[in-house]
Amino acid sequence: MRRIVVVPSTLALLPEYAGIEDPIADLRRAVTDAVAWLPPGPVSILTSDSSPAARRIATALLGDRSDLPQDPDLTGMLVVANGTATRTEKAPGHLDERAAGFDEALRRGLATGDLAALKATDVVLGAELWAPDAAAFVGLAETAGAVSGVQVDYDDAPYGVQYWVVRWTCPS
Amino acid sequence: MTLKLGRHSFADDATLMMAIVNRTPDSFYDKGATWAEDKAFERVEQVVAEGAEIVDIGGIKAAPGVFIDPAEEKDRVVGFVDRVRQSFPGLVISVDTWRAEVGRAVCEAGADVLNDAWGGADPELVDVAAAYGAAIICTHTGGVTPRTRPFRIEYDDVVASAIADTTAYADRALAAGVDRESIVIDPAHDFGKNTFHSLELTRRLDEMVATGWPVLVSLSNKDFVGESLDLPVGERLTGTLAATAISALAGARIYRVHEVVETRQVVDMVNTIAGRRRPQRAIRGLA
Repeated sequence: MRRIVVVPSTLALLPEYAGIEDPIADLRRAVTDAVAWLPPGPVSILTSDSSPAARRIATALLGDRSDLPQDPDLTGMLVVANGTATRTEKAPGHLDERAAGFDEALRRGLATGDLAALKATDVVLGAELWAPDAAAFVGLAETAGAVSGVQVDYDDAPYGVQYWVVRWTCPS
Repeated sequence: MTLKLGRHSFADDATLMMAIVNRTPDSFYDKGATWAEDKAFERVEQVVAEGAEIVDIGGIKAAPGVFIDPAEEKDRVVGFVDRVRQSFPGLVISVDTWRAEVGRAVCEAGADVLNDAWGGADPELVDVAAAYGAAIICTHTGGVTPRTRPFRIEYDDVVASAIADTTAYADRALAAGVDRESIVIDPAHDFGKNTFHSLELTRRLDEMVATGWPVLVSLSNKDFVGESLDLPVGERLTGTLAATAISALAGARIYRVHEVVETRQVVDMVNTIAGRRRPQRAIRGLA
């Protein structure tokens, strides 16, 4: 059995950007709990090549459990990626009407373990919608094999950026 | 260094607002606005709501004026300290007095800090602080008599004088048994000083901070601000806040103020810029 956790690539998860009050307290709680659910020992990390910050976030979350080169034998995987950043007029990339549909397709794929849907993610459109991580979802679909259990811990776009925290159980 | 102010303790990176509450009919800034006890109590309620950690209750204005004997001073402050103590158990109560007799009475009533604005004029004040576990503010006045204005006072080096006198006072308090964490030094702007002296103390405040004793600054609406900008009392807030910013950058810990909200914002902003305090809530560009 493998356990896979998806968390967003927001820089607000990094300790060096912490304020006195946490603007993502609910998200952070969900992230922390999901990461704690990963099996003990080293965890492989899956991020998009275009998002170096995602690796830093993974390292910050996993500490000495980070296993930077991907190792197929590991039973834990952390995927650091999120949806679009164009969900509202106040979103970092302002409102793009196409964002909601793009995110809905990703949501369905993540919430049902629909690997074919995730594999079909339009990475070019994702870049236009300020979702530079979208390729990581394609990578996730390619590596997961099959999904036997899904739990969605977080699904919201509090700052116009679509975040998910999702746990997958995979038979192999 | 951790600050222990009577019943209350504060972390070594905490900055504190000490709000001035006058039980006087004639103080320079409020001109008796809180002379009536209920008005003074309303002022306490207001500054607590504004976030002040400390109130500094004074029964005698600093400048020369009608003689107030210890009995009259006690009439003005002791009962009031008791009332504030009962109503605000979490508030640090400081009393601005130089008299040991008054200090003893206010400590009995619940005061946490003795703010000796006149630099140890009454040598027994430190014994009172030690006996009651109160904190003491050791100020520099250049040796002048309480309630006198400075007249042609000069120093070879006003900062050196302030450091020498306040740290000697601090050592005396320590020797008397006051807790090391309950001793604060204050260069006392305008006390025994002309405007040039107060400006130099502001400019070189880091030298006082470097002594290791926590530093209190009392800048609020004072004449050195007024003379620097040629502005009367009532129009000195901006200048006060500029001096506050410089003092915060130098590392002052306690700010004795009339305006709590504005001072708190300036001190927090400066310390955030200096990297000693995190932003309250940061998401811009990070989401």
